[in-house]
Amino acid sequence: MTARDGQAAVELEGVGKAFGGRRVLAGVSLTVPPGGRLGIIGPAAGGKSVLLKLIAGLQRPDAGAIRVLGHDLVAAREPELAALRKRIGMLFQNYALFDFLSVADNVAFPLLHAGVAADEIDARVAARLRAVGLAGSESKMPAELSGGMKKRVGIARATVARAELVLYDEPTAGLDPVTTSKIYDLLRADQAETGSTAVVVSSDVAAVAAFADTIAMLHDGRIRWVGAAAGLFDADDLVVRSFARGEERDGAAVLSRSVEAARPAPGAWP
Amino acid sequence: MIFRRSLTQLGGRVMAMARDVGGVFVLTMEVLRALIPPRLDGRETVRNLYKMGNRSVPIVVLTALFVGGLMVIQFAAFVKQFGARALVGWGTGYAVFREVGPILIGLMFSGRVGANNTAELATMTVTEQVDGLQALAIDPIRYLVVPRVVAMMIMLVALTVIGDAVALIGTMIMSYVVLDIHPYTVWYSLVDNLGPSDFLHGISKSLVFGAAIALSSCYFGLTVRGGAVGVGRAVNAAVVGAAVSICFLDFLMTYLTA
Amino acid sequence: MIARRPLTAIGRRALDGVDAALELGRVAVGTIVGALISYWRGPRRRGEIARQMYFIGNRSLLFVAVTLGFIGMVMVYQTCLLTTQVVDGRGQVGAQFARLLVLDVGPSLTAMMLATRVGAGIAAEIGSMKVTEQIDALRMSGVTPVDYLVVPRFLASVIMTVVLTMFGMAVAWGAGGLTGYYSFQINPRTFFDLSMVAPAHVWLGMTKAAAYGAAIPIVAGFCGLRAKGSSEGVGAATTAAVIGSSFAVLIIDFTISAIGLIIWGAGL
Ligand SMILES: Nc1ncnc2c1ncn2[C@@H]1O[C@H](COP(=O)(O)OP(=O)(O)O)[C@@H](O)[C@H]1O
Ligand SMILES: [Mg+2]
Repeated sequence: MTARDGQAAVELEGVGKAFGGRRVLAGVSLTVPPGGRLGIIGPAAGGKSVLLKLIAGLQRPDAGAIRVLGHDLVAAREPELAALRKRIGMLFQNYALFDFLSVADNVAFPLLHAGVAADEIDARVAARLRAVGLAGSESKMPAELSGGMKKRVGIARATVARAELVLYDEPTAGLDPVTTSKIYDLLRADQAETGSTAVVVSSDVAAVAAFADTIAMLHDGRIRWVGAAAGLFDADDLVVRSFARGEERDGAAVLSRSVEAARPAPGAWP
Repeated sequence: MIFRRSLTQLGGRVMAMARDVGGVFVLTMEVLRALIPPRLDGRETVRNLYKMGNRSVPIVVLTALFVGGLMVIQFAAFVKQFGARALVGWGTGYAVFREVGPILIGLMFSGRVGANNTAELATMTVTEQVDGLQALAIDPIRYLVVPRVVAMMIMLVALTVIGDAVALIGTMIMSYVVLDIHPYTVWYSLVDNLGPSDFLHGISKSLVFGAAIALSSCYFGLTVRGGAVGVGRAVNAAVVGAAVSICFLDFLMTYLTA
Repeated sequence: MIARRPLTAIGRRALDGVDAALELGRVAVGTIVGALISYWRGPRRRGEIARQMYFIGNRSLLFVAVTLGFIGMVMVYQTCLLTTQVVDGRGQVGAQFARLLVLDVGPSLTAMMLATRVGAGIAAEIGSMKVTEQIDALRMSGVTPVDYLVVPRFLASVIMTVVLTMFGMAVAWGAGGLTGYYSFQINPRTFFDLSMVAPAHVWLGMTKAAAYGAAIPIVAGFCGLRAKGSSEGVGAATTAAVIGSSFAVLIIDFTISAIGLIIWGAGL
């Protein structure tokens, strides 16, 4: 069930998205090969989460083309999208754990709806929870967990069904450096085991650059820079370089410009 | 086992209800005290009146139109059986002015204005804007609650007057369509048999219902806890509290004024 | 330029309205089809339907009892005041009251109460799932939110609305009888008189109850699924659900009553 050889796992071309007349994405083009690890960085409120939801088929673009695992998401109707989404795992920025289900039931959810047999579900959920270091918390409810624990439950839920493509939205936001590197070790191990493709959105530039093979920087609604992760900190583009290095003056300039871009132009009717 | 759990739950619910009734009572006292030298934030009251009226007039007009028509349908079989055509205006008017009008308009008003008000205050509370007011030494009772209570009482009375008139129009239309009774017949049957006391009976109910809706709405809005889920729960509790109060006060006022 | 502003604003509101109506239609069709399929195959999530039924019943039993009880007392009170004005018609009050209760007041007022209670509850629940992206998380597992969330509530609500209507009518009838006895000395034997209640009345009343029970979760689910933002969005969805489902009750009442009048005419 993996994508055919030579075909990209994710392919975006000129993708645009606006909310109530406010342009968030304006022509994003990207390609991720099967088994690739793409990191997406960029200023806050720049549309990174929206980009992931477009790839997951949770929202539809206003313009452009999106192909994911061999499916054309613009042409696909809802049943096709629903079937495709089962092959994609997603960690949401704010976890989105089902607050009416226990930790174990949250992780079991994708398997339950993929028709996996009950005893296999139990075994796989237990293995997954062990892998993310949450063995023993099976019967807790999400409200009883800390932020880092919720993140790990979210990762377990995103990967339990052995998705071919996994989308991680800020997997390490608000976590300490030790936990951060543990989480990236986990992502690496998962990927080595299943051969899946990973797209990671993160504000922690150094950590994501260490994990990903390719980095893309989203800026002003477009991909400003794509390249090997190793070259990010020495990129020719001053905006990219200073954002990646977190250099104060230039970094501030990047941020203020993107906030400016987020504002509707004066006189424009949304 | 289940029986014991239900009993525990019932106990918990009775306690919660007692706390809420007490809370509304305390709030009522605070509102009255804030009004003792009658000082009212005029601008805030007018702003609320405008917003509430704007929001609820269409829904109340539609409700009243349907209710007027509905009364005729309920009356129709009776009229067809006994030929009591001259009684339509009187019967529907009596029911609408004294009971159905104030209750249904009150319920719709609570669903529209009361619920909105709870959501607004609850959002202000969970985002700590109310604490911010207090930090500025602004009394939330005087600034937030009193203008809303006054505005809701005035507005519900005004809406009931409008609603009574519109329901009468609905009655006339349906009488003509379904029973072929001329609007004049309906009108004279009404004015010949009903007096101002019937009309005022309903209006005075609306005044009381308006206060009850406002107090329930403000109480649950200001005592909300727990983010987005809490706001939804507060709205739910406010409309339920308002509905119970309306039914209870309706009974009380019918009984006392009879 | 200035002249175009209100026009574009009105145009956009109209488009939004059309959009919302289409969405409501989709939720309604999705729910009813989903319910039929689950009836056909035997509901897959029997436990969930039972749980929702318990929620609805547990949350509204006391509420319906209190409100319908008072309404029953007031109705009998007012009718007695009215009938004793002209001639003493107290003997007829009970029979007429029973007819009106079964035909309209019982189902409609119970449903008005459930619209506020159950409708607000469903919208708050689904709305907060929407703003915390749990709905998107459901969709990631290939689950249709309408099937997963609205269908069980729909089935539970249809059943429980009928059950609670019968309960509410019984409470109102009893409370009315007590009022008649204590305030107007009507003999309970005279009051509890079902001679004016025909099978057609029962059918019509119960059809109304089932239709209300179907409409409330559809309207409330639709409002919840459209929630946007955070706390404000959930609040707005909840208030929209209360007014939307109350109004749906009113329109259904009017429509079914009119159809009943056309079918049975004077026999009603
Ligand atoms: N469903 C939505 N409706 C309206 N606006 C949205 C929606 N989703 C995202 N936005 C807006 O799009 C912009 C980008 O959001 P997001 O993708 O979350 O940024 P980030 O890069 O921080 O993840 C924000 O300004 C946000 O307010
Ligand atoms: Mg984001």
